[in-house]
Amino acid sequence: MTESKDALTAELARKLVETLGLDMAAKAVDPAAPLIGAGLGIDSIDTLELVVMIERDYGVKIDNRAAGVEAFASLNALADYIRQRRPSSPA
Amino acid sequence: MSGGGRAYVTGIGAVCAGAANVAALRQLLAYPKRCFQLPTAFPANGPTAQLPVAQVAGFDANGLPRTHRIALQAAREAVGDGPLPDAIVVGTTTGGILTTEAALQAGSGDPRDYRFHGLDTVAQALAAAFNVDGPVFTVSTACSSAAAAVSVAQALLRAGLAQRVLAGGADSLSRLTFHGFRQLQLVAPDGCKPLDVNRTGMTVGEGAGFLFLESKPEQGRRALAEVVGTGLSCDAYHATSPHPEGTGAALAMRRALADAGIAPSSVSYVNLHGTGTPDNDAAEARAIKQVFGQKLPALSSIKGLTGHTLAAAGGLEAVVSVIALDENLLPANTGLENVDPKLAVSPVLEPTRATVDVVLSNSFGFGGNNASLVLSKPTSTPAEAATAELPTLRIASVACLTGRGTVGETLAALNAGEFAGGLVPEGAFAKAAPAAFIRRLKRLPRLMLALANTAHLGSGTRSAPDFLAVGTAWGPLAETQEFLRKLFESNDQFSSPMDFIGSVSNAPAGQVALLLGAQCPNLTFSSADRSFEQALLSAALAIANGARNALVLAAEAYEPRLSPLLDPDAAAKPCDGGAAFVLVPDDGAPGARIRWLGETVSEGAASALLARVAQGDPGRFDVVALGIPAAYASLSRHALTQVAAAFPNCPVLPYRDWLGQHASVSATAAAIAAEGVVAGALPFAKTPLPRRRVLLLQLGRRSTAVEVFA
Repeated sequence: MTESKDALTAELARKLVETLGLDMAAKAVDPAAPLIGAGLGIDSIDTLELVVMIERDYGVKIDNRAAGVEAFASLNALADYIRQRRPSSPA
Repeated sequence: MSGGGRAYVTGIGAVCAGAANVAALRQLLAYPKRCFQLPTAFPANGPTAQLPVAQVAGFDANGLPRTHRIALQAAREAVGDGPLPDAIVVGTTTGGILTTEAALQAGSGDPRDYRFHGLDTVAQALAAAFNVDGPVFTVSTACSSAAAAVSVAQALLRAGLAQRVLAGGADSLSRLTFHGFRQLQLVAPDGCKPLDVNRTGMTVGEGAGFLFLESKPEQGRRALAEVVGTGLSCDAYHATSPHPEGTGAALAMRRALADAGIAPSSVSYVNLHGTGTPDNDAAEARAIKQVFGQKLPALSSIKGLTGHTLAAAGGLEAVVSVIALDENLLPANTGLENVDPKLAVSPVLEPTRATVDVVLSNSFGFGGNNASLVLSKPTSTPAEAATAELPTLRIASVACLTGRGTVGETLAALNAGEFAGGLVPEGAFAKAAPAAFIRRLKRLPRLMLALANTAHLGSGTRSAPDFLAVGTAWGPLAETQEFLRKLFESNDQFSSPMDFIGSVSNAPAGQVALLLGAQCPNLTFSSADRSFEQALLSAALAIANGARNALVLAAEAYEPRLSPLLDPDAAAKPCDGGAAFVLVPDDGAPGARIRWLGETVSEGAASALLARVAQGDPGRFDVVALGIPAAYASLSRHALTQVAAAFPNCPVLPYRDWLGQHASVSATAAAIAAEGVVAGALPFAKTPLPRRRVLLLQLGRRSTAVEVFA
């Protein structure tokens, strides 16, 4: 795990808690745990809220179910998904 | 009261993409040709606007907003040159949002630019056009609004409260709905294909559809059809997703068929909600099979032709149902290429001539609000005499929220001679529901959840309510404001899906149903300062029809940017809150009673309402508790003269002096009056109530009267 990925994961955790109004600390989000259908109580509307946030803040689209399954597998997976597709991001 | 006045359809009016009137719609149904296009009804530029819509041609001129103009055209066609309606029920969600959007984007601080924001302004435009003295209702239950409006109209006719009702709905395209559905990823890039294996979503549309309903057709006016049954339900499952098994949808259909006394096997044709989203069509197909079993009637969705006209859809499709009955025509499922085999249904592929005796039409909306209508060829059974006597309701429990807090805190302040208006303190409603439940909710749904929960718990009933009616003049303003702000700030690119979902007027009512597990009918009235009174009336009609209880609530939430621009009440001093009631049939148990007495246009008719309310006994009431919205403050001198003439020796207490100014404060006044008649004194100015009877009178553009007694 690279340092920049850690930073992105931490940033996403913060945005996740903030965007969805979750009653927990960003640090408490397990980066390897599934985002949907697990302990966070995230549902389909939350997912759409995250889709908008990710496109707005990172320029990365998640516009079909398969992409959603991949991106929201975990916080780490989401960070990977963004890093792989982010426009003009360093390789 | 069922079996009273009937609901004959003696006029229809329609506007939708590809059809400017009913004749054009008949032609369009016979020779379907879809005409989706890129939107031009609102400023639409850039990559995010490249999605087709079902736009109506014309209606661009200045003056009244687009929704109002579309509504007026369809309503005029439905009324025709026959007798005028004595009541109006309009379903709408957009109202004048197009004009509000433009004003917000321009940063206007001029209240005149926002004067059409209130949903009530659509119905008021119709009331003015047809000189309607009687009640004028606005129902806002998202995409089931117009169908729910028809059900309210049917209840009014059955109860004998009206003889001729104009009912239906209208919505225009707007940035709010277009970008809202886009952000929810529910819009089909290539136009909707209901029931198709490759369906990817809906097509946002606009339009209007109205029925002219008469309890007894006037001479020479031909009945085209009859509304014989209506059914409402709430999924109580999710804010936007339908229940996957279609439980709520099936419940609405079953209730409509039971109301009509018609067996499923007698239905000739089902007009599906059929939006073309993967989830809706799957859930609806399951629901259809639950209701009809293996032998399904002919069925189709017309949304591949008209797009989804949102709040208008139930009205437009009621008109289509009437045409189907009148012409013996099964409309086609336009846009369909390959039926999704998983749905296991066989929709009508081409317009087909066949005997059509009974049609069931479905409309489902956000908040899990479902409405089904059953229409038949006109029957010849004579109508029984309808009674105009509404049942008296016992108030089983009451809750209110004011600037001082809950009922107890409000009474304490009032008894101490203090003002109880202002903004509801956070602490009074913070524990509305579990934290996880309310994490995404803003002020109005939280206020309503707290009110509903307190009243529900206070009633001691464990089971969910039998009927739920909500009133809110302004609805979820913070959600609307936030959605548009983010949208404009990002040049029409990004906004919050949550805020869009939360922006529909019935979103808070949907949350209440979720919290209480209430699958009962769930109506939201958005009729300016009359919203509470209309919710109360609908509850009385439901109880007259056999509901065992009803939860009625009305509330407003102050929004710092919009409220002062929209409502002169809010411009003076921020104030919000409301009240909730659990109502049951009058069973003789001790406690307060409440009764809706009437609604009429104020100018020229308020005196008649007062005379009727006095029932020949000017000493009937201890007190007239009077509410005059700030927008109508100029009426007060004249109003006081009228009230003094009708009730010469009765003290008149302007309750807004104690409770503050907001559009649902009449509900709060009713809650305080309910406590007062039991205690024997009203806390306002420590007024004794020897007869234990208070008249709650509200005088605005229209007047309402409600009595509270013990």
